Amino acid sequence: MNYTPKLPGHNHNVTPVSPLRELLVLLGGLLAVIAIVYLLLGLGADLLVSHISPATEQKMAAVFSSRFSPHNRPTPREKWLQSIINSMQEKGCVDLPYPITVQVADSKVINAVALPGGRIMVFRGLLNIVRSENEMAFILGHELGHFENRDHLRGLGRGLVFAFISTLTGSSDGSIARLVARMAQVTESGFSRGQEEAADAFGLRMMNCVYGHVGGATDFFIHMPKKLDPGHIGHYFASHPENKKRIQALLVLQQKMGYQSGPLTPLPVWHKDSEQKKN
Amino acid sequence: MPDLILILSLTALGYFAGSWAENRHYRSIREREKQLLHIPAITMKDIPYPDGEIRSSHLVEGSAVISIDYFKRLLAGLRNIFGGTIISYESLLDRARREALLRMKESAPDAAVIVNVRIETSAIGKYSAKRNIGCIEALAYGTAIELNKQ
Repeated sequence: MNYTPKLPGHNHNVTPVSPLRELLVLLGGLLAVIAIVYLLLGLGADLLVSHISPATEQKMAAVFSSRFSPHNRPTPREKWLQSIINSMQEKGCVDLPYPITVQVADSKVINAVALPGGRIMVFRGLLNIVRSENEMAFILGHELGHFENRDHLRGLGRGLVFAFISTLTGSSDGSIARLVARMAQVTESGFSRGQEEAADAFGLRMMNCVYGHVGGATDFFIHMPKKLDPGHIGHYFASHPENKKRIQALLVLQQKMGYQSGPLTPLPVWHKDSEQKKN
Repeated sequence: MPDLILILSLTALGYFAGSWAENRHYRSIREREKQLLHIPAITMKDIPYPDGEIRSSHLVEGSAVISIDYFKRLLAGLRNIFGGTIISYESLLDRARREALLRMKESAPDAAVIVNVRIETSAIGKYSAKRNIGCIEALAYGTAIELNKQ
């Protein structure tokens, strides 16, 4: 047998495709799939929400109650917050199919959340920067707005969809899971902006109903510490430009509805004391 | 946001540094393949020379370990979702195999022929913590035949 040494000509083992093109095609495809799945399942969750009865919601809330178990005795702060909510309900400003309870969570986070089962969780970090009862009433009214619009359940539904997508893609590679998480977050924040605006409008209505004016509604956004990292704060302060837009939207709404400004109700005396003790 | 910046910069680094290293490696491979063309490496077990002519025969081997870069891994990860040919790994394996063969030939510069050549591939760091290190090893081995000087 005769051996003829020969250099390989064309390399058949390597596909001559630009890796950048491959990246664009794959990433585009992935984005499209995620967007479609997210939209479809999200829509499904939204449709389901309108069929969840208050009783079912209470059952769902059991999942959370193990994590955020209520105290046996409410603290003075909680009693104060509860009294604001109660006055809103007693004056007939809001009619929800279940009682609303407020609870303070010991965390520096500046946020408040509406949880299934009629529970509002206010974080200590938020209480520490509130300067008047009116500001607090706006925040509580905002959360009641979420209950009224059933956003808290919608959020859960979308959260589940989000977790589902993350699990699907997370199994393949850590960096892709992170990429997907970021992409979904951007979609989510765009989606929830409308809900936040609706809840803001509801909060304003609550203030007007309880106090007869809406003074102090925008104060909270204004004296919010500017140095705070947007990554660690909740849905009240997505970003500073976002804040300005929200203040503007509130002022426009105030004018449109003919709401008046009025004197602020000061915080209870003990509020300042407990704040100093905590710090 | 910081994690996104990290992913993007690592991907860009992987793409530019990876392409640069790959092009440089391929240039070196092509050049050395030309230089070592006179040593045939064949898969046959038969020795194409009579016993009297053979001075020695011994095992020769060459191995090369090539690492995956961040960009290639991202591409492969995306391919894992959709299925299909993972083209980003093709050049890695090709380079590893050719480099291993070249090193095998370089370890037997006086050989007339290397017979019974085999190539094996294995993954390294597959089960390392977090699976952040990923590379492959190609090992080429065969029997080098040296002939009596005439």
